[in-house]
This record gives sequence, C-alpha cells and structure tokens, in this order.
Amino acid sequence: MSRWLERFRPYLMVAPAIIVFVLFFIYPIGYMIYLSFHEWDFISPDKQFVGLDNFAGLSEHPEFLKSLENTFVFTFFSVGITTVLALLLALWINRPTRFYGFVQGAVFSPHIISLVSIAMLWMWLMDPQYGLLNWGLEMFGLPQSQWLASPETALYSIILVAIWKSIGFNTLIIIAGLQSIPPHLYEAAALDQSSRFTSFAKITFPMISPTLFFLIIMNLIGSFQVFETIDIMTQGGPLQSTNTLVYYIYEYGFRFFQLGYASSAGVILLIVLSILTVLYFFLMSKRVHYQ
Amino acid sequence: MAVTSVKSLSETITFPPVWIPETIRFENFTLAWDSGPFLRYFVNSLIVTLSILVLQLFTIVPAAYAFARYRFFADRALFALTMITLMIPTQLIFLPVYLQFSSWGLLDTHLALILPFAANAFAIFMLRQTFKQVPEELLEAARLDQASEWKIMYMIMVPMAKPTIITLLLFSFITHWNDYFWPLVMTTTDASRTLPVGISALTNVEGGVAWHIMMAGNMILVVPILIIFFVAQRHIIRAFVYTGVK
Amino acid sequence: MAEIRFENVKKTYGEDTIISDMNMTIKDGSFTVIVGPSGCGKSTTLRMIAGLETQTEGNIYIGDRLVNDVSPGKRNVSMVFQNYALYPTMSVKGNIEFGLKNRKVQKAERQKLIEEVAEIVGLTPYLNKKPQKLSGGQRQRVALARAMVKKPDVFILDEPLSNLDAKLRQQMRSELVQLHAKLGTTFVYVTHDQVEAMSMGDEIVLLDQGEIMQMAPPLDLYNYPANRFTAQFIGTPPMNLVSVDQLPSAGFREKAVEQIGFRPEKAKLRHFPGNDQFSMPCTILNRETLGSEIIYQLDTFAGKLYAKTFNEPVVDDEQLFVSVNNEDIYYFKENGRCIAPYFNRETPIKVRSTV
Ligand SMILES: Nc1ncnc2c1ncn2[C@@H]1O[C@H](COP(=O)(O)OP(=O)(O)OP(=O)(O)O)[C@@H](O)[C@H]1O
Ligand SMILES: [Mg+2]
Repeated sequence: MSRWLERFRPYLMVAPAIIVFVLFFIYPIGYMIYLSFHEWDFISPDKQFVGLDNFAGLSEHPEFLKSLENTFVFTFFSVGITTVLALLLALWINRPTRFYGFVQGAVFSPHIISLVSIAMLWMWLMDPQYGLLNWGLEMFGLPQSQWLASPETALYSIILVAIWKSIGFNTLIIIAGLQSIPPHLYEAAALDQSSRFTSFAKITFPMISPTLFFLIIMNLIGSFQVFETIDIMTQGGPLQSTNTLVYYIYEYGFRFFQLGYASSAGVILLIVLSILTVLYFFLMSKRVHYQ
Repeated sequence: MAVTSVKSLSETITFPPVWIPETIRFENFTLAWDSGPFLRYFVNSLIVTLSILVLQLFTIVPAAYAFARYRFFADRALFALTMITLMIPTQLIFLPVYLQFSSWGLLDTHLALILPFAANAFAIFMLRQTFKQVPEELLEAARLDQASEWKIMYMIMVPMAKPTIITLLLFSFITHWNDYFWPLVMTTTDASRTLPVGISALTNVEGGVAWHIMMAGNMILVVPILIIFFVAQRHIIRAFVYTGVK
Repeated sequence: MAEIRFENVKKTYGEDTIISDMNMTIKDGSFTVIVGPSGCGKSTTLRMIAGLETQTEGNIYIGDRLVNDVSPGKRNVSMVFQNYALYPTMSVKGNIEFGLKNRKVQKAERQKLIEEVAEIVGLTPYLNKKPQKLSGGQRQRVALARAMVKKPDVFILDEPLSNLDAKLRQQMRSELVQLHAKLGTTFVYVTHDQVEAMSMGDEIVLLDQGEIMQMAPPLDLYNYPANRFTAQFIGTPPMNLVSVDQLPSAGFREKAVEQIGFRPEKAKLRHFPGNDQFSMPCTILNRETLGSEIIYQLDTFAGKLYAKTFNEPVVDDEQLFVSVNNEDIYYFKENGRCIAPYFNRETPIKVRSTV
C-alpha cells in the first residue's frame, strides 16, 4: 500500500495542475485548430468541414487585413519606441540617489494598475474638448489633436498609451541588467581613457544586449495580444483604424458568430506567437552558452 | 510623464484643467458607487481573485515540489507541457474555452472565471527553481528524523519557500484583480461581473461621459492594488523584474 | 549501541562501480574514522549506513538487524552533516525537537530530553534563536544536539568540522572525543584529513577507490602499514620510497622487493656515512623551518627524499649523508604489499652506498 503510494505520489502531486493546463490551455488550442477548418455559427448543430477556405477567406477579407496591418503597426511602434526610450531612461536614472526607491515606485506603478483604469485615464486626458493633452498643446501654441476621435490619430494614441504603460517596467529591467555589469569593466575602460560613448558602445551595450533581446521579444509577444485599451477606448474604430488581431477574433467570435473565421485568425496569432516563442527559447539557449 | 502615474489619478476627480479642486468632493465616490451594482462587482472580484489564489496554492506547491524533487516516468514531458502552457496567452484560447464552458453550462458563473486559472505555469516554474535550491542534505536530515515525505514538504520546504510563494500570490492577485479580458468574455450579467468590467461600463453612461464619476469608480479598482504595492513594493518589483531577466 | 557489519557490499552508479566488494565490521562503541582521498567513496559508505543510499549488492547489519530494507528514519542512526543541514525556518529548539515529534515522543518527555542535550552541548541560552543567528561552532553544536537527542545506536558524521576555522576545529575535535567517551555510542566519522583521523579515531578505515586499504588503530596504521598506499597516506611529509633498482646492494630479488621506504622523521642527517644499514650521500635542496621541527628536501642519486628533524640544530652543509636504522626500513613488494621490518628482522638487507 505505502509502496504503491510512493510510486504514484509524484503523479498525484502534478495531476491537479496538469488537468487544469490540459483542460483549459492545451485542449482548447487543439479545438481551435479543428474549428479553423470548419464553418460554424455556434447555433447550428453541425460544423461543416471547409478545409482551408477560412484562411483563404481571411486573406481576402479587408477587415482582417486591416486588423493585421494595425497589429503590426501597433507592435512595431510601441515596442520600438518603448525599448529606445526605456534604454535612454535607464541610462539616465541608473545612479543610486536617495530618490531611487521613489522613482522606482513611480515608474513601476503603471505596470500594476489595471489597463481599464489606464485606458479610462487616457480617454479623459485625450478628450478633444477639455482633455489635459489638448490644453497642454494649446498652452505651448501647438495645434490641437483629435486623438482617439480621428482615424488618422487613433492608433497612434493607443500606441502612446501602450508606451506609457510599459516604459517603466522596461526601464527597471534594463536597470537591473545595467547593475549586473561588473564595475571593474568600467574601471578598466577608464584606465584606458575611453570616452563615455566608447564605454557605452563597447561595454554597456554588449553586456545588456541579451536583456534587451528578451525584453523586445516579451514586448512583441505582449503587443500581439493587445485588446483591453482598444475595447475600452475605441472599440476598433473609428473606421476600423484601431482594429487589431485579438479584437478581430473577439468581434467575429462574439458579435458575428463566425467561429470558423475567428478560429482561423486565432491560428494565425498562434503561429506568430509560436515563432516568437521559439525565437525566445533559441536566444535563451544561446545565452546559456555565453556564460 | 511617469510621475503623473498615481497621484494624478486622484486629482482627476475634478474637472479638467483645474489642478487642485476647490472643494474635495467625496460624494463623487458615492455617486460612482450608486451608478451601478458596484458592491456586487467588488464582491465578485474578491470571490474570484481569492478563490484563484487558494486553488493555486493547492495546485502549484505540490506540482512544483514534484518537478523539483522527484524523477518519474514522463516527468520531462509533463514539465514541457507546463512550459508550453506558460506561453499560451488567454487571448488565444478564449474562444474554444468559451465554447467549452457554454457546453458545460458554466458561462456567466464564477467558476468560468476561476477554473482556468486554478493552476499557474509561471508560478510552478518559479517555485520549482526555489525548491531546487534547497540543499539535498536538509531533506536527508529530515528523512533521518523520520519525517514523512508529506511532512518534509509542508514543514521544511514550504516554510523555506515562503517569500517566493508570497510573491507569486501577490503577482496572481494583481493579475486577476486587474483582469478585464477574461471576465468580459465569460460574463454576461452583473451577477458574475467583476470590477474592471463593471467600471468600464461607466464609459457608456448615457448623456455624455461623467469623467469625475468614472475616475472615482476607478479609485475603487486601483486603491487595493496600490495599498498592496506600497506595502510590498520591493517584493513585487523584484518578482516582476525577475520575470524579465530570468 | 550496535556494531555495524558490511557483507560483500557493492555500490554502482550507472556504469561506475564506486565500491566493488566491501567487508568490514565496525566495533560496537568504537570511534571509527573513515579516511581517504577525495572521491574514494567515504560519503557513499556512510550514506549506505544511514540508508540515504541503497547498496547495489550485499548486506548491511546494524547490531543484529539486517537493514537493507529499513528506511533511514527507522535505522536509529543519527547523522551530522558537513553543512550542518539545520532547518532554517525552525528555532534551535525546533530543530532538536523535530525528530522527537516525528517519533511521537510526549511533550513533557521531549522537553526533558531537549534540556538535557542542550546542557551537554552548552546551547541552553540559545534554544529560541534561529540557526542563522548562531556562529559556525554553535551551529555545529545544534547539529550534534539534534543527532544526540534521538539516542541513536549509531552516530555518523560526514566531515563535520571542515567548515570551521582551525582553532575551533581543534576545540571541537576534543569535544567530540569527550562526547563519544560520555555517550559510549558507536561513532562513524568521515574525514579526508589524516591528522583528524589519527587524533580522533580509535579505529581507522583507510579507503582508496572504494576499497579498504587497511583497517586498524591509528598507531598500527602508522607503524605497520599494510601497503604502499597506507604508508604514503599517513604521515607528513609522506614516507620516502626508493626503488631497489637504484640501490647497488643485492638481496632484494629473491624476496621480490620492489621498493624500500622510510619515514622522514626516522632519517638522520650526518656528515659521514655512519654505521646504519641504509646510508647515502645527499645535498639539501630546500629547508622548511616550522619551529620545533625542520623539514629538509634532499637530492640523492635515487631521487628526492624528505627528512624531518625535531629540536635539532639546523644543518646547512653542502655535502651530507642521509641514513636510517635498519628497523625503520619498510620493504614493499611489487604488488604494493608491505613487509614490515619487524617481521623479517632476522635477515636485514644491507643497503649502503658511498657513491
Ligand atoms: N549520486 C551520484 N551519482 C553518480 N556518481 C556519484 C553519486 N554520488 C557519488 N558519486 C561518485 O561516487 C564517488 C564517491 O563519492 P563520495 O561522495 O562517496 O566520495 P567521498 O569519499 O565522500 O569524497 P569527498 O572527500 O570529496 O567528500 C565519486 O567518484 C562520485 O563522483
Ligand atoms: Mg564526501
């Protein structure tokens, strides 16, 4: 009896977690792939097999293409700008001051506040009539913007919010990376009379580039899933200008009940995320090699 | 810009360009509170978040321990499965899970918000690392002290991993308290809606958007998180930063 | 209290055989020290006694009981680990008490036992502290107290002093010996430090690559090494070995002697060959003055040799002779076995050279 328990103990211990994972993560992925080859409206009893028709349909579907384009634009700008700004900010903040704890807290808090609150706060700031942002622009004599209200600027406004939310977190991680650089490297460089720029190019940047790589990939993965800000701030509008991949899946699944289309779009998201994940693990194994 | 983060949020209770309100209007809170079933939302949020934490505690600790300390058939495969789960965002699986819940008749219930998060791959991964760092000698000493495997786990390993476990629970709390996406998808009535979804409905109040009420509503959502954050700032930042540089 | 018996014990890890065939009896109530170079299987042997490793083949008895299938907790063995292995989340008292609780000892009884051992190891004022707050020596004492409180049949200790500084180590050594005398329990003690082994054990097991080279009381090990390995392992500097090929004298062949050896402390430095059986010219290469003793490194035609003198004036002449009494010479056969001089004193071999 006790031997029997001994043998099965590990299985009993991992079972609850594994059941949850299989039931709510692994199996649904399979089901989604299955659905992507079918046409179904959620109500009719049978699902019709349509092969790759859904994917073919998607490739000609302007709304989908627009959402894909938006997702890529969003990802490109939000990740690019966040990374560059966070790097600059990190280099600037990274010296021990009395305020470090405070700065850390202030910089970090957007990361733990609900996106709902953040989205609403920014909606208020971006209000074209009496929002603070336009008020500020006016004070400096600059032309006002329509922000979320115009198809031209809406996506960029969303990007701005995304940058604001993630920049603090990114900065802190880069700072952590900077602080793990052994100081004797800089001392050696100082003895060699290297300029500040050379020190950055030859020591700092190579030493934190693994951290940067990882941040970028994590940010990419996060960006492809953008949903909350869009749902709250623009609902994909105006004129589809902020429709993104996840929002598309959501709309086609829950508003229009085209589960085949929605699942196919999900599979495409899955493929993108898988590529990024593989890249992530590839870099991870590479980094182990460096050490 | 970053500094605008928190403090400014409370300032926003007033009308736009006025930095400091002439009278501090606490009645905005009551207004916000009265403009929807917020008590219901708040209780729902609490039920869902706390249930998730408790369930996670019971699934994560044994799983992490088994992965850290036992060799068994298919252990690597099961761990790989856990790592794959770690990479699957909810945005990818909400549709099939929705269909699943609908066939089980669980849509718009607390269970639909709780069950998928009853285990947490990231937490298992982190806790496994912590357990692996405990020196083998300590377990051997306990074995010689006639402690059962179960006792070793909860009398020695769990107390040693307490900081990690607390951090992971804080982490979970923040994630699920704030979560908007999942409850939005899975709930249809106020009976099971949580705070983030409830509050977002304030944007659609007829007769224009009442910014001051909206911001007051958000305070209800944000304040618990900020309290936790300032109490355990170092823990939380360390945990989040660690996820980035692991 | 119990003796420990190994019967044809074999231990392998996958392909590697760590211990091929071990037979020994550790006497009841003895202070047995297992010593040997790093990786020779000392810890493995110890852990098999404790049940933390299971032998691949063979039997292990503790007392009269065959313990092959007895779990570690049930063997009534206490272990003291090199890194103490104290439970960091429990107080000193909690650490000592944990094993008792697991054995379902009553509270009042537990209290009494804890007070008793705390008194013996001098921990009474620290009972409510966490181990992290204690010094290395105090932690070691907690580990001892935790081991003692169970009143085990056998105490096993795996390099328990190697994390302490030299002075504390010295002190703990004698405390452990006294503790052993007081408890009278069988102690099995692992170390790779021969000085520790010699000074503490009343029985020494010398291991090399999983094989027992010799098992004997310390002085026997020193005086009657069974083989070349023992001869070289015990004593600093190690015993000098000279290959007989390099010696002009005859008489070795028929006895199949390959090398002769002598301890540096038995070597005498002279200005003349003298009348000893072994004597050869040498020059001093190097001298280490350690106070009461001096270690010389000598160059001879048979290679480098060591000599050690006590309370003698320093010699620094160029040309000297190193000589050894015949009864201090050990003879080693080709297979490494030693024929101690005492066993063949009747046929001394003259080893002289004045080249
Ligand atoms: N779990 C294991 N798996 C494989 N080989 C092992 C294992 N444990 C020990 N060994 C091998 O067994 C041999 C003996 O190890 P052991 O720990 O008994 O040595 P030791 O005499 O205690 O050495 P030290 O003085 O360094 O502590 C070593 O070569 C070691 O590599
Ligand atoms: Mg060892």
